[in-house]
Amino acid sequence: MSTAAQRFLRDSAEKSADLVHREIIRKNMESYDAGHLKGRDRFKDWEAARRRCQEIKREAVNHLDQYLLQFEENVIARGGHVFWAEDSEQACAYICELAQRHGVKTVVKSKSMVTEEIELAPALGKLGIKVWETDLGEYIVQLRHEPPYHIVTPAMHLNRGQIRDLFREQLGEDVPDADPQKLVALARRKLRQAFFAAEMGISGANFIVADSGAVAISTNEGNGRLSTSLPRVHVAVTGIEKVIPRLTDLATLWPVLATSGTGQPVTTYGTLLGGPRRAGEADGPEEFHVVLVDNGRSRLLANAEEREVLHCIRCGACLNICPVYRHIGGHSYGTIYPGPIGSVLTPHLRGSEFAHLSSASSLCGACTSVCPVRIDLHHHLLHNRRDFASAGQTKWRERMMFKMWRAAMARPRLYAMGGELMRCSLRVLYALGLGGSVFDPMRVWRRGRAPVPLPKESFRSLWKKEAKS
Amino acid sequence: MTAANNPGRERILERIRAGLRTAVAAPAEAASDAMIFETIANPVERFQEEAKANLIDCLMTSDSAGSAQQLAQVLNSLPPGEIFVQDAPAVRRLIERSRSQRPVRWSSQGGPPEASQATITLVEALIAQTGSILVSAACGGRGASVVAPCHIAYATRDQLVPDLETALGNASRQGILENNSFACVISGSSRTADIEKILVQGAHGPRRLVVIVESS
Repeated sequence: MSTAAQRFLRDSAEKSADLVHREIIRKNMESYDAGHLKGRDRFKDWEAARRRCQEIKREAVNHLDQYLLQFEENVIARGGHVFWAEDSEQACAYICELAQRHGVKTVVKSKSMVTEEIELAPALGKLGIKVWETDLGEYIVQLRHEPPYHIVTPAMHLNRGQIRDLFREQLGEDVPDADPQKLVALARRKLRQAFFAAEMGISGANFIVADSGAVAISTNEGNGRLSTSLPRVHVAVTGIEKVIPRLTDLATLWPVLATSGTGQPVTTYGTLLGGPRRAGEADGPEEFHVVLVDNGRSRLLANAEEREVLHCIRCGACLNICPVYRHIGGHSYGTIYPGPIGSVLTPHLRGSEFAHLSSASSLCGACTSVCPVRIDLHHHLLHNRRDFASAGQTKWRERMMFKMWRAAMARPRLYAMGGELMRCSLRVLYALGLGGSVFDPMRVWRRGRAPVPLPKESFRSLWKKEAKS
Repeated sequence: MTAANNPGRERILERIRAGLRTAVAAPAEAASDAMIFETIANPVERFQEEAKANLIDCLMTSDSAGSAQQLAQVLNSLPPGEIFVQDAPAVRRLIERSRSQRPVRWSSQGGPPEASQATITLVEALIAQTGSILVSAACGGRGASVVAPCHIAYATRDQLVPDLETALGNASRQGILENNSFACVISGSSRTADIEKILVQGAHGPRRLVVIVESS
């Protein structure tokens, strides 16, 4: 078992037993569920909207080279710069060099999962550059030296009291009643100074638009607006798969992203950035750079079976509905992208060390049912399991067990005999008081759960009786 | 960025092209022409409803005198201090008619200072479907709609379009993004629900968005 897999098992066991954590997540998810359902009702045909979004992303990803080149051409025509980074190292090196060239001491950053993926903030930190996460949730987890807990709501795992305590320790100011309004006001005051002092603003991109050369960013707080308006250099960092063909595609993608992400009809700010400040404009950055990050995405593109994973718009809906995520939380995965999409994507981006995540699912299919771009997530988890098993990344014992299982399943009588034998053995074992011992095949199950009572009759015999009556 | 100092560009493009040689099957259900959103029968009514839901103060006026009066009332409700105003003839006339005594910094003088109490701008369009305003860099710059605690947008009813599709289509046709480095669809005041999903207005940007819509 790999280290990442061991950590995953340990952390998920710990988190699922943490009742305070579960209560916080339950409340958050209940609020999300209500908003999401209400948001869907605002569409005349939600399923048609999902199909349209799937079609847009499918067209973009299956003509990725053409649309990226069109985007690049438009950005350059408006005075911007585009850098293509094969991996995290190249992306960080480019941005660090840019920061040094401009004498940057302070960076304000709006929420971007790609910058987490490439570990940009630590790279800038090594140069002595202060990086401020400006999304409130990101700011909170930055103060806790933690990665984001969730793609959309990075500090979902904390309640107001915990945030009050954090602010008191880290910012030296107390909000005795932990009123969210006052906590937000405190963060606003602190971050305002950073916005006006920063020489460089770094953002992600929800979409990059080929026909207009624009970077589209959806935010509610306005931190994305300030990060891209006030500093003299703006760098947008994005995965190559974020391109969409046309500006008008946003007329469907924006409402669908907002509904799936937070239940809102649209996010408060749907911002389009198409270059540095033009002559005659009152403000804006003097330089505009877009860093297109590959980092394993083109490899996934070659996998026709799973190519559609690149359609993901990072709304977080699959995390919110996933029964596994709801119990173990975002940090247990040990990855930047948690939940079902992370379990599918991470082994492709970071290798077989994360193969175990393909099994972090009950395969209930809830993730697939809510995905706004209709990614067949639970089947991709199965594809990953199959691929890792085919590549021999399973234990000899596991392979033998499955061979025996397959042989029994193909022979109904043998299967029935095996079942009967198992029930008899367990009855004897439990009668001897050896339940939960090393001889009990259910011992792992019983570690954290009440024993399952043994049925008196098998399903097979009950079925026969039912058929006769 | 030239090929010499970005050798990764060609390698990424090669990998993409190689990957795309393997065709993928079309989805089982193709996109249909089904209507995704309800048709908007009464755009003015819809805009007002959606703006209210977005916590926007939507003030409908019948003429420029009414708009100036509404503006004066809004400005009187704010703490003392400078305001930042888009330097455009229509807004200059509005400010004059409002008889505001506040010091004004015009967008032609640069971006909005941090201490601005309010900003006043025009809009590119009003969007009924989402109760939003569309602004661009031409509307006083980037900071004009986000730096101050209160943003006042001044629009006319003929700027109202039914939906996002129309607004973005018009923006493409009119070259709004070709002529401006920035555009934004704004649907309310700045907000966050990052703490226990409790809505708080004024996270980083304006706590209040006022839209004055004049009949003509």
